[in-house]
Amino acid sequence: MKNKLVGATLLYTGLALWLLLATLPVVWTVVISLRSYGDAFAAPLKWLAPLTLDNYRGLWIEREFYRNAANTAVVTLATVTISLSVGCLAGYALARYRGSLGFWLLITALVFRALPHSTLLPSFYAMFDALGIRNTTFTLVFVLVAINQPFTIWMLRSFFAGTPQELDEAAMVDGCTRLQAFRRVIIPVMWPGVVTTGLFSFLLAYNDFMLSSALTNAESDALLMQGVAGAVSITIPLIVLVAIFQKQLVSGLTQGAVKG
Amino acid sequence: MKLRSFIGFVSPSVALMLALLALPLAMTVWLSTRNCALELELVTVQQTGPFGAHAVTTQRARVDAAGKAVQRCTSVGAAYYRDVLGLQPAGASGASGASGTPTAAANDDNEFFAALRFTLLYIAGTTPFVLVGGLALALAMNRVTQRLKGLFIAASLLPFIITPVVGALAIKWLFRDNGLVPHLLGHFGIQVFWMAQAWSAQLLVVLYGIWHVLPFAFIVFYAGLQGVPQDALEAATLDGASAWQKLRYVTLPHLAPLVVFVTLIHLMDAYRVFEPVVVLTQGAFTTSVQYLTYHVLLQEDNPYKASAAAVLTIAGIAVLLIPLLRKTWREQR
Repeated sequence: MKNKLVGATLLYTGLALWLLLATLPVVWTVVISLRSYGDAFAAPLKWLAPLTLDNYRGLWIEREFYRNAANTAVVTLATVTISLSVGCLAGYALARYRGSLGFWLLITALVFRALPHSTLLPSFYAMFDALGIRNTTFTLVFVLVAINQPFTIWMLRSFFAGTPQELDEAAMVDGCTRLQAFRRVIIPVMWPGVVTTGLFSFLLAYNDFMLSSALTNAESDALLMQGVAGAVSITIPLIVLVAIFQKQLVSGLTQGAVKG
Repeated sequence: MKLRSFIGFVSPSVALMLALLALPLAMTVWLSTRNCALELELVTVQQTGPFGAHAVTTQRARVDAAGKAVQRCTSVGAAYYRDVLGLQPAGASGASGASGTPTAAANDDNEFFAALRFTLLYIAGTTPFVLVGGLALALAMNRVTQRLKGLFIAASLLPFIITPVVGALAIKWLFRDNGLVPHLLGHFGIQVFWMAQAWSAQLLVVLYGIWHVLPFAFIVFYAGLQGVPQDALEAATLDGASAWQKLRYVTLPHLAPLVVFVTLIHLMDAYRVFEPVVVLTQGAFTTSVQYLTYHVLLQEDNPYKASAAAVLTIAGIAVLLIPLLRKTWREQR
């Protein structure tokens, strides 16, 4: 009995310590984002200081951060939509086709998955400058879609492999073409998988700093305190997302692992 | 499914990957052997000053009929590879021009090897902690009461889903002079200027890496734990196995494939470590291989040398991954 109590105490102390480590950087960033520069980095450190929204006002209104936010929203939304449309077609075919071509495509995708993105940048510059389309949202979206394809098709393939083949066969017996069976029968039962994969496409597009900063000439870093407010502003949508889609997130992270 | 409809279904995806992954990759290899420079011409201009007019001979970029500067491109073979690797013999011919001649880099500490060394150090420094920490957290979370699990898991995932630049910035602000961590360490008489020297800056990048990836390992292992056969555990208990023996002989063997999976994914991701290097050191004390290409391309403004660095980066990941890819291949077959 006593042993159990000690064990439980140890368990919850350890977990509390981890949770503190996991959340402290973000929590502290939120705290200092609500302070003036003098209070945020005062020596000695201030545990309590007057709260202010000045940093946020400076960022969102004076520096017109809403423009960046709107641009990010457009890019991520377009990336997710196109990634999923293209990826669902390929993932479905990869789950149903038995030939060796599918196997080779998956291996190639895995190799591309390992590719560091910076290795593509010199060519992107050369290609997009020649075409005069480097600093465009359009280009960025398609680059992000392509970069995310290997991951997307692997993940969707494993979700499609989990839907019974009898479903599309039945639909095709009833007179559907392959494409109609895919659209009318398979996709409706695939929604959870599509949502999960979409979530990860979103994270990949939203979080990709290198491609976004290299392919669009974003202006240099804001003033420090506005940068802190910006960091918090960028993180809030992500926290909302985890709160809503925690189940899908966990199932997505473990999907590849459990099913291979 | 017939081959024909298979091709129809995968073609949009394949076309995108061909155009924006395979083609640029091939082009990077080609660019790495080239060099382009502005073509210069000598002109004589009449200069009028307060002391009369005189002719001055000077250089200017040649322009074509459309008014664009004429570029002359030549093949330079492996010159940029030698440059990146620090093997450039003195007085090498070939590349020349305004946009960055591959000069004999007299650096004792070659930039590519320095970048590769830190990248490998980062992989070696993060992987064990990510695996062991992730496993420990998964085992602990498995024993938490159902009511708290959801909240704990969500909070644990935060470091993983946060935008890497923002995560690295948050760590930077925490460790900044007059920040929270130096303040707390100050109570124990420890004073470190974290971002002012190589070892501590590198340690911060590694710490960031562990913080960022541990939740991923945790969640994969946690899902794996739900599938551990309960009857095997019960049988082991009946046979008088201790908790440690049950972990060692029942649970861990069950998780082994997941350890391989997490290691493989982490290896790929750790090899391209970039954001914490930019944010925490600005490349001053550490460069990763991916940072090197980015830096050469954007700061040195030399796409040809950047391409050579990129090809060498790919060679590096290939060497690291070929044994693991072989294994995956055999299993998929």
